[in-house]
Amino acid sequence: MYSANLEGDFQLKSIIKISGLTKDYGNHKGIFDLTFSVDEGEVFGYLGPNGAGKTTTIRHLMGFLKPDRGYSQIFGMDTWEKRSDIMKDLGYLPGEIAFFDRMTGWEFLNFMGEMRGMTDTKLRDKLIDFFQLDTGAKIRKMSKGMKQKLGIICAFMHDPKVLILDEPTGGLDPLMQKNFAELILQEKSRGKTILMSSHSFGEIEKTCDRVGIIKNGKLIATENIHDIKEKKRKIFIVTFDNATTADNFAKSNDFEIIGVKSNTVKLNVTGNVTKFIRALNKYAVIDLDTESSSLEDIFMHYYGGIKPEGPQFTWKEDIE
Amino acid sequence: MISKPLFKATIKQNIFVFTLILVVLMIYLPIIIMLYEPATKESLNDVLAVMPEGLIAAMGLNNLGSTLTDFIGNYFYGFLILLLPMIYTITVCNRSIASLVDKGSMAYLLSTPNKRTKIALTQAVFIIASITAMIAFVTIAGIAISNITFPGELDISAFLLLNTGALILFYAITGIGFFSSCLFNDAKNSLMVGAGLPVLFLVVQMISDIDEKVHFFKYFTLFTLYDPEKIIHNGIFLPQFIILFSMAFIMYGLAIYVFDKKDLPI
Repeated sequence: MYSANLEGDFQLKSIIKISGLTKDYGNHKGIFDLTFSVDEGEVFGYLGPNGAGKTTTIRHLMGFLKPDRGYSQIFGMDTWEKRSDIMKDLGYLPGEIAFFDRMTGWEFLNFMGEMRGMTDTKLRDKLIDFFQLDTGAKIRKMSKGMKQKLGIICAFMHDPKVLILDEPTGGLDPLMQKNFAELILQEKSRGKTILMSSHSFGEIEKTCDRVGIIKNGKLIATENIHDIKEKKRKIFIVTFDNATTADNFAKSNDFEIIGVKSNTVKLNVTGNVTKFIRALNKYAVIDLDTESSSLEDIFMHYYGGIKPEGPQFTWKEDIE
Repeated sequence: MISKPLFKATIKQNIFVFTLILVVLMIYLPIIIMLYEPATKESLNDVLAVMPEGLIAAMGLNNLGSTLTDFIGNYFYGFLILLLPMIYTITVCNRSIASLVDKGSMAYLLSTPNKRTKIALTQAVFIIASITAMIAFVTIAGIAISNITFPGELDISAFLLLNTGALILFYAITGIGFFSSCLFNDAKNSLMVGAGLPVLFLVVQMISDIDEKVHFFKYFTLFTLYDPEKIIHNGIFLPQFIILFSMAFIMYGLAIYVFDKKDLPI
């Protein structure tokens, strides 16, 4: 009884709910028995390689596709039956950029505003400013990045409660990616529920609370981003004063040593680094370097069957 | 019922091809009316005499008739009124839905709080309204030009019937085009059916006119239901008009239904 009540509470809170969602295109293409939900105020990263089924899932959420089995809901309404009602409070950025070519950016935003019955244009104008978009240009002549900015503005301009963004940072330069992350965090702080897909973890790790990983149409994990960060391993390369010290360090501590070469030691540290720093304190350290690693390492085992534990690199390949 | 901003955008998108076709029609129509000069008619008959009979028949020119109404009915309403506006309707039908789905811009329209039925109905209303406007222009121009060049010679009620028939025929043709636009997600397929079928009808009609032996071909074309000569002289047109109109109604209805229910890969 108690657990049933708990689940009931969760259902009330979740804005996006997908249950047993299946669309079989044959040949193992499609999505199969997807179940997950996104709570109010949550930013959900939907991660998977190209062709995994991210866009197919999103098309169901948008009411473009009718599921073979299962259902998806937004605000508790069926996304196929009630699609146009849901759209009142939803902002959408399609994965493929396809606008009305002949319009200018300005004409397009006006048109979409009218289609939505939008009267307040303050947010739109703020967003145009924020992304520094030249709205006078014909869409046909815009670069990929400009079109992407236009799409983002179009998705956010009516201040929707839910945002569904398919590969939002594609084509954006690093500065604009930063702006975009800022926008997501700001909208999140205003209580917006956001689902965004990506094929790269780096794009969403700064903004997402939770991540769902899809592969071959099946959801293989949903994880809290903080848990993932806890599990995140860091690779350090320590240079000691001489080879003996290096050897001593490697032998007298229980760190996951990747390799030792003369006076340098390469090792893995998972989670908290305090213990590592304390251990180093006893030795003469000439240099301390960290190998740039991303959370992607963690996820490789979901994608490729590579175990996250144990050395993935050989000493030879990595140093020198 | 319909989306005003979309209607406006659709007008803007198609105003060029509409104007272009209308201009071509407005060039042909006065020329044909002025060709009616009995003297010119003689020389036209001379020209036609040296042309192969089959070709003349295929163009619908075998009976130039004796009155101005017959003359316009045969020369303009036998072929040109089918061909030229058809270029327009094929273009707008394909653009109305299929091309938006194919390009993906339909995703933007459907991410607004408008029902699919409303989007499709808006496009349908545009097609119907614009082809009505085009035929109306031709009708008014035809009457005006005839009255200036040959006052009192045009049988206006027969001429109005000719145009009404042409319009209903176009409702049916655009019904096919719009249905195929709603059915297919690929603009290429939509065009193949939406343009292919009307063009095929036109070709079959031309073939059936060539010779008595192939006259049975007329049962394979929709255009048989629009016969200018019968409209002017025999007054047998009501059943045909009703069939065409019902067909248009059904095709448009089916189109909107299909578009509402289908999966969209956008």
